[in-house]
Amino acid sequence: MDSFARLLHLSPPLAWMALKLLIVIGGVMGIAAVLTWVERRGAAMMQDRIGPNRAGVKGITLLGLVQLAADGIKFFLKEDVVPPHGNRLLFTLAPALAFVPAMLGFAVIPFGQSFSSGGQAYHLSLLDPGNGMGMLYPLAIGSMAVYGILVASWSSNNKWAILGGMRSGANMVSYELGMSLAVISIFMAAGNSPVGSPVTLEAYDPHRIVEAQEGLWFAVRQPLGFLVFFTCMFAETNRLPFDFAEGESEIVAGFHTEYSSMKFALLQLSEYIHIVTASALLVTLYLGGWRIPFVPNPGVLLSVAAFLAKLLFLCWVFVWVRWTIPRFRYDQLMFLGWKVMLPLSMANLLLQAWLMHGRGIA
Amino acid sequence: MGVIVKKVELGWLDRTYVWPVAKGMAITFGHFIRQLLTPTARRFTIQYPDMKREVAPGYRGLHELKRFEGGAIKCVACFMCAEACPARCITIEAEEFGDLNAHQGFEEKRPKVFRIDMLRCIYCGMCEEACPKDAIWLRNDYEVADYDRLSLNFGKWDLMNTYASADGKAVITQDPTPAVPRRTIAV
Repeated sequence: MDSFARLLHLSPPLAWMALKLLIVIGGVMGIAAVLTWVERRGAAMMQDRIGPNRAGVKGITLLGLVQLAADGIKFFLKEDVVPPHGNRLLFTLAPALAFVPAMLGFAVIPFGQSFSSGGQAYHLSLLDPGNGMGMLYPLAIGSMAVYGILVASWSSNNKWAILGGMRSGANMVSYELGMSLAVISIFMAAGNSPVGSPVTLEAYDPHRIVEAQEGLWFAVRQPLGFLVFFTCMFAETNRLPFDFAEGESEIVAGFHTEYSSMKFALLQLSEYIHIVTASALLVTLYLGGWRIPFVPNPGVLLSVAAFLAKLLFLCWVFVWVRWTIPRFRYDQLMFLGWKVMLPLSMANLLLQAWLMHGRGIA
Repeated sequence: MGVIVKKVELGWLDRTYVWPVAKGMAITFGHFIRQLLTPTARRFTIQYPDMKREVAPGYRGLHELKRFEGGAIKCVACFMCAEACPARCITIEAEEFGDLNAHQGFEEKRPKVFRIDMLRCIYCGMCEEACPKDAIWLRNDYEVADYDRLSLNFGKWDLMNTYASADGKAVITQDPTPAVPRRTIAV
């Protein structure tokens, strides 16, 4: 540990940043890749099947994990078809447009407890607290994700794709309202750092939000907001029961009907990265971030482990829900978004404001 | 004819949508855990090349031409099976052999050629029923596949040895007694 601390003091801040980048990008990509395996094996288990377990090198299948490599190789070897009447430039750009915002959202998430060493504070999030963007950044970037899908569907010049993109756009816009209102009540409850703390953090800073959950997690304090945000996250990630952009049974494969080869793989991977980012948001906002119940100061390693455990569990919940709940009808989706989620979210905001007023906070 | 449409009245708990979802999640979780904890051998899926299905008694699979303990074929080339076969997949050519002894059932006729075209066979079991000597059985092997048509034209020795390894019998490729030239009956 001592040698590690010395190394930390001697190396430039850039090296620390690079290390964090490596951890975050590698971690997110790794989890997303394994998530595809979890999804397939998990689905099989829930449906009393076995799932992919045949791919292997010399009989070593690692419970089917080798399937990931096989899929990757297969995607590289597939023909890359670009529809002749589509927009070639946008068609090529769309997977990146879907992939990058999904990845960017992770930049402000604190994935472990901050620690100080040699008189300097080190924060386990890519951007240090007090950057002025805080939690608004992943929300803003999250809204960008719809462009990936819209561009993919528009440039395909395909009826199914257009329908999927249209549905997805409507879906995301409707659910973002309820989601944002739920987050606002979190900001209200978190409040600015009290006077006298080492760093003054705005209420919308994720570090402050984790700090504020020292006693009770926000999921317990605002169950209604948690429910709304949780539901909206499924709409944001385009997962069942809100996977209108795809809707295999109705519009073939929706926005990625025309996609093949690595472009398709990237679209698919960006969906899984989206799940990881959404789970990270949920953990940070509602499940106490890196906090462990009844342990005030878990330390770096334990806190990262706790964050990872919560993150992985939520990722699994995404898979679990997918194989439980059937897809909504389109009008039901709109009904739920505008007439249930939005009013619920507003009610939550008012309730929290009223409760805070009752306690004499504001 | 009228159809009575049953209207389901949902309680308030079911109308929240949250409670039914929770019930559904519990069901899938139950299946997940149960399947996860079930050993592979007891799951519903039979993972074919590694595990094989136990066929029911009386299953009609690949044929076997039965033999006596000495290795002589039981078939007496009576052509009953070839006649009974609805798919016309059995070809028999008879021959005579001289030595009469107990092991060969005091017969003097046996097939020189006994061919079943496995691609034509419909596994109906009529040959088995027609056989007066119980010389042809349809047993439980169902893995009859090959890469070309010719190798599925099973001959006499193929058919006599189909279950040799399963029953622990010797693989034979020769009749114990030689054939004799066709006798002409002098009147």
